[in-house]
Amino acid sequence: MKTLYIKLLVLTVLFSSCEKVIDVDLETGKPRLVVEASINWYAETTGNEQQIKLSTTTSYFSSVIPPVVGATVFITNSTNQVFTFVENETPGLYKCSDFIPVLGDNYTLTIIHQGETYTSTETLLNTPVVTRIEQDNEGGILGEDIEVKFFFDDIENETNQYFLRIDDPYKVIPEYGVLEDRFFQNNEMFGLYFSEELKVGDTLKFTSNGVSLNFYNYMNILLAQTGTTSAGPFSTPTSTVRGNMINQTNFNNFALGYFRLSKTEVKEYIIEE
Amino acid sequence: MYLNKNLGFILFFLLVANFTFSQEKFTLSGVVSDTKNKETLIGVSIFIQETKTGIISNEYGFYSITLPKGDYTISISYIGFQSIEEKISLNQNTKKNFLLSESSEVLEEIVVIDTKKRVNIRKPEMSVNKLTIQEIKEMPVVFGEVDIIKSILTLPGVTNAGEGQSGFNVRGGGADQNLVLLDEATVYNSSHLFGLFSVFNPDAIKDLKLYKGGIPARYGGRLSSILDIYQKEGNKNDFHLTGGIGLISSRILAEGPIVKDKGSFLIAGRGSYAHLFLKLADNPNLAYFYDLNTKLSYSLNEKNNIYLSGYFGRDVFQLNDSFVNTYGNSVLNFRWNHLFSEKLFSNLSMIYSDYYYGLKLDIIGFNWDSGIKNYNIKYDFKHYLTDKLKLTYGLQSNYYDFNPGKIEPTRPDSGINADQLDRKYALENAIYIDAEQQISEKIAISYGLRASSFLRLGQQTLNTYANNQPVTFNPSFLIYESSEPTGTVSYGKNETIAQFENLEPRFSISYVLNENQSVKASYNRMTQYLHLISNTQSPTPLDVWAPSDQYLKPQLLDQVAVGYFQNLNNDDYSLEVETFFKKIKNRVDYIDGANLIANEALERVVLSGRARAYGLEVLFRKNTGRFRGWLSYTLSRTEQQVEGRTAVETGINNGDWYKTGFDKLHNLAVVANYKLTEKWRFSANFTLQTGQPVTFPDGQYQYEGITVPNFSSRNENNLPLYHHLDVSATLTPRKNKGRKWQGEWVFGIYNLYNRQNAASITFSQNKDTGSNEAIRLSIFGLVPSATYNFKF
Repeated sequence: MKTLYIKLLVLTVLFSSCEKVIDVDLETGKPRLVVEASINWYAETTGNEQQIKLSTTTSYFSSVIPPVVGATVFITNSTNQVFTFVENETPGLYKCSDFIPVLGDNYTLTIIHQGETYTSTETLLNTPVVTRIEQDNEGGILGEDIEVKFFFDDIENETNQYFLRIDDPYKVIPEYGVLEDRFFQNNEMFGLYFSEELKVGDTLKFTSNGVSLNFYNYMNILLAQTGTTSAGPFSTPTSTVRGNMINQTNFNNFALGYFRLSKTEVKEYIIEE
Repeated sequence: MYLNKNLGFILFFLLVANFTFSQEKFTLSGVVSDTKNKETLIGVSIFIQETKTGIISNEYGFYSITLPKGDYTISISYIGFQSIEEKISLNQNTKKNFLLSESSEVLEEIVVIDTKKRVNIRKPEMSVNKLTIQEIKEMPVVFGEVDIIKSILTLPGVTNAGEGQSGFNVRGGGADQNLVLLDEATVYNSSHLFGLFSVFNPDAIKDLKLYKGGIPARYGGRLSSILDIYQKEGNKNDFHLTGGIGLISSRILAEGPIVKDKGSFLIAGRGSYAHLFLKLADNPNLAYFYDLNTKLSYSLNEKNNIYLSGYFGRDVFQLNDSFVNTYGNSVLNFRWNHLFSEKLFSNLSMIYSDYYYGLKLDIIGFNWDSGIKNYNIKYDFKHYLTDKLKLTYGLQSNYYDFNPGKIEPTRPDSGINADQLDRKYALENAIYIDAEQQISEKIAISYGLRASSFLRLGQQTLNTYANNQPVTFNPSFLIYESSEPTGTVSYGKNETIAQFENLEPRFSISYVLNENQSVKASYNRMTQYLHLISNTQSPTPLDVWAPSDQYLKPQLLDQVAVGYFQNLNNDDYSLEVETFFKKIKNRVDYIDGANLIANEALERVVLSGRARAYGLEVLFRKNTGRFRGWLSYTLSRTEQQVEGRTAVETGINNGDWYKTGFDKLHNLAVVANYKLTEKWRFSANFTLQTGQPVTFPDGQYQYEGITVPNFSSRNENNLPLYHHLDVSATLTPRKNKGRKWQGEWVFGIYNLYNRQNAASITFSQNKDTGSNEAIRLSIFGLVPSATYNFKF
């Protein structure tokens, strides 16, 4: 994220104001199942209520994302306890109200859709708490933005990856980033966010999840391919981003998306003077 | 080991050479220079009418030809200069220096017939393009910044990934496969400002030659091309200042004699204006580049010349102290020319070259340094045995010191842990011999062999992996993953970690059909021991060089080329048609999501593949008259493939061939110059290319509240057709005549019809509405420019 950001900055500085939205004819591949199975155990909750979203791929410029209805969705834990996810009024949204989160436990997600069975097994990972928050009114690269740092202590003596999210009141899309503790091992780390739009009284929501190395890699590739740096001289080659769902019935008809379980840390911060 | 093989080869040479000493022979030798400033001239043709043999002056202006005793008529010709014809009675070894005068200065109104640039029909040399600095300066360019790298893009077989992108690609080779030599020293990064401009100050450059194939054995270490650039020595007659003021940069060059006719100096500086592209108000920010070229030449005596040359260039970006980025090359080079005899010319070069990249990112408390240092000794000999046989041989040794990266915290409160990634060391040696031989009236051949070796040296600790595989394949998710090391091996200082040896044969032949036509063929094998670790469309200054090791094998290339060459209408026109095929082994590619920055174990993200390129090149030139120029067209394909190592593995792109990011099926360039009067000259340049290969999404999906484009086959789509027309006019005021101060104005318009060429098309969500859109990025629309150049 760091380096992409630097390149992006230099590029925009050099070549601003020559961008234009254009029409492009695109082909559309065969639809694939997309699994958004993010089990977030919010601190100070029981974590019993969880949800999983199922949809399919569709043509790039389509404004409708087709939901997947009528699928069978359940998670089993290491003691073979089954947590069933039931489709409710929103098509494609499957909910469970008796999920039991246990740190370090292994869970297996099973989805049966159109006669094909997809599975994935993952561990529920811990997430450090936010210890302090700093605001700098002369922050950002240019020193003129409001910059907020959310500090947390790296989980000691293990290799960790973190998946961070910021909800900015001025942005329609959440901002994501992934972080590894490679250069910060056992030190204090931080999630950094700055924007020129932020004003006193605005609320920033910071969300952090401890994730596996596989998810870190997955999200790294995914974010590189979704952002504005996904094309151009400094972009890396794009390809289908493979998640961790395996089609047990028809191996080649793999699903996209990811099954992930984390303790989730959320901190809201109101911008001060 | 290879030494023995090589001795055998030398013996073979001697057999082929089959010397005959039946006649008494004498040597005619000397140096060819420009009358005006005594600057030596490279590539001047010295042709003996009677024997129909000839020689070309070498990089130091030296020539030597050995002929039987007798009377000869010698023609000396060079592009842009008046030809000389001289009768000589050769009855002893003769030293003869020639001085040539620029054609335009001597004959004004008569359209000069001497400025011919006819194709050398007889020489076996092929796949070589030369451009004089004059030709380069006449081309219209963006912002009026004369650019050596951009100018070679008008030649057949040469492309780059796209407008404003760094580097260049020769016959489908990667940008890291070009050996760029400035006064024999390697330049690692030829771009300023991420590729917008090149690092060479045109005023300080004398000559350049681009080898695309049939590469002589004296060059090695890169696969695809050699761009051999020579700096001027400096005026040996009088002191002069040359300079220019442009939109982007200004330049000044001072040159003159140190000791008249013996020594000269040259110093040239160029700098862009600060705040160049940054229109961000109220911020202490900077973006600029500068470079400095220096050269000292001194002739000790008839037999010994020494040269000291240097280059130093930097790019600097700075935003408010929180982001400081500095990078560039430096080169220092000492050379000694020594004539052992009239027939044996030698040059010893001792070269230091480095590339530095530094980045300070205070916002996260991070400071980064990386680079490469290179110490190089070359001893090259040119042995002019007879008028029909010339040998070139020598030794080269390169010591590399790689700094893959050093990380430091910038502040005491920074959470960054300081780290120096293991430095890497390597030694590359080569010996070579090359012969150029006239076999018969119609056939000339050039053949040679280069034996190269590469030692990867300690001190370093390397990882070991299960099954010796640093990259493993996950058969469930069909993805490649970095393996966890199973252990480490430590190597002591200068201990050999890995060793490679390669024999690189080179061969070319010309067959003369008649005075004006010939066919030529060539084969060359090249080895490249260094890899530029870059996973982006075009290289970035941040990319690091990595030496070959047990995982990263040396890249190998085999290339064949066949060509037809013709001079038409008494050399007014020339035509060169070539077709080539090349294949490359051990070309690296990267696993998805590979992190190349500060990666201590690159082998864990690298996959080895192969590449191939083939094509047809046409170059048609008009060499004479008021109207001159060329048309070059290339039809080619360049592809890469990474297959799975086992049947289960998918490789990259399912193991299928995919087009490289710089594949251009069609590439047309037209360069035209028209001299209306002494006062006005006009130039135009038209480029038309297939759009760059890219991957468009074939669908979308939603994940965690964001829209993700789904991509499938790599580089199956193309950006729209790329074309632009550029024009320029040069005004040389009449009052210049007879005046010391010579001024000239160059007015240019780049992209005359304001074509919005796509540099990229990005598919992403609109930040405000969240809906998907395709955004075309165009770098240059219509760009007018004016430059003032002066000389006194």
